[in-house]
Amino acid sequence: MAIKVDYVVRETSTNLFRNLSITLASILTVMVSLFLLGMALTVNLGVNKATQRWQGGIEFIVFINPGATTEQVGAVDKALRESPEVEKLTYVDQNQAMEEFRSLFANQPELIDTVTPDILPPSYRVVPLNKSSDTVEALSEQYRGKPGVKSVVSATETIKLVQKLSGTLTVFMYVVAGVLLGASILLVLNTIRMAMYARRREIEVMKLVGATNWFIRVPFMTEGLVQGVIGAGLAIGLLVLFRPFYERIVPDPTQFPLFSGMVPASSELFGIYVVLAFIGCVIGTIGAGVAVTRFLDV
Amino acid sequence: MIKLDNVTKVYKGDVVALRNASVEIAKSEFVFLVGPSGSGKSTFIRLLNKDQTPSAGRIFVAGKDIGELSSWKVPYLRRNIGTVYQDFKLLANKTVGENVAFALEVIGRPRHVIQTQVPAILDLVGLGNKAGNFPHELSGGEQQRVSIARAFVNRPLILLADEPTGNLDPATSVGIMQLLDKINKTGTTVIMATHDRGIVDRMRRRVIELDRGEIVRDQVRGVYE
Repeated sequence: MAIKVDYVVRETSTNLFRNLSITLASILTVMVSLFLLGMALTVNLGVNKATQRWQGGIEFIVFINPGATTEQVGAVDKALRESPEVEKLTYVDQNQAMEEFRSLFANQPELIDTVTPDILPPSYRVVPLNKSSDTVEALSEQYRGKPGVKSVVSATETIKLVQKLSGTLTVFMYVVAGVLLGASILLVLNTIRMAMYARRREIEVMKLVGATNWFIRVPFMTEGLVQGVIGAGLAIGLLVLFRPFYERIVPDPTQFPLFSGMVPASSELFGIYVVLAFIGCVIGTIGAGVAVTRFLDV
Repeated sequence: MIKLDNVTKVYKGDVVALRNASVEIAKSEFVFLVGPSGSGKSTFIRLLNKDQTPSAGRIFVAGKDIGELSSWKVPYLRRNIGTVYQDFKLLANKTVGENVAFALEVIGRPRHVIQTQVPAILDLVGLGNKAGNFPHELSGGEQQRVSIARAFVNRPLILLADEPTGNLDPATSVGIMQLLDKINKTGTTVIMATHDRGIVDRMRRRVIELDRGEIVRDQVRGVYE
């Protein structure tokens, strides 16, 4: 049976305004939890981008001259592969390097336009067996200055510290956001439950005269959904407002090249916003869904 | 129209509300259910619109075993069964007209149907001029007429009334009974639970007497006792 849109809109808005204070409470909780989650995702995305070449235990990188001869490359390749000190070795060719560059400077498209894959150096990402800084330094030194090698860069203590700090920070934020998301589901649930209690006589009559279960449920479901969506919308709005402050906190990448990836591009942020909006819908639907199935004995 | 086949209903705590009840009610019959409080009258009524499910036995309504009805089909069963209660169950924040219209609205009837059906049914129950009043502005008898109008506006095959005159004085009850009689004459099966001796004796319709959950008497053109 078709449920009339104007009926659902009317019922939902009456319900929302009837318990305005508790409705606001659940909307604001959804907002705060999604805002925190959004911040955690943004920081995490930035740190991952800035340090992506250093992930998975990679301690140093041997960059090859784009103009090196096949023999030169072969010699470096052989030396790395046969070294007993090397645990794992990954070759990044020029096209992959271009991809990395694109993501690192995603918020500076004019820079990307000036670069083509053939000017980027291919590289070997090395995971050594022994990760103490002395051995890493000694090992990387063996390749510095070899024919065909452009440069050898090792992971600095700063990079490791940034990774560790942001890792701890984002885990903490995820946990807090997770707890708040749970709280917001419960709040939505209770708001819907109260709305159903306020309308128990109507519900009784509806059951009596043969309204279908879905006809009775839908206005309450949309009420939950609206709360989730408004909460998510406000969280996204806050993140947009907060973005300039965040960008100001991040150190100037021209002075600290490490941070060049820390400021996410608009396209990447858009992805985060979509995720948040989706989670907002899910929270509202779960909260309302549990409420109507548990407490709307139809 | 309605058939109970060896129906037993046991509530929590081994309270037997109905025991091995078998009865058949034909189309457009008018049946009184009589008996003292707790004899199973209300349970009988509630089993028919599947507000309760029997512990044993089968119930047929319009040829269908309603025990086999999946829960999503129950609303469609109820659209064929109007119900009237002692406490009216009217919505205080809606006018008389809106209360009746609500019953059509929530089963998805189109607006033009509602706009013609509601005044017609209010005329039928004699409240044509009270559509704009709120329930609290009406007398008890008038409120019960509204609830009957709501139960009958969808032209159900069966009208169940659980002590519809329980809250009304004898003179007002007579009017309600005339109205139920009028509805019965349109071909609607009416089943009414009551312990109003005067009404039963005056109407001389089929009487089914229950005592502690058992049917102890089933009499055509019967009296209260």
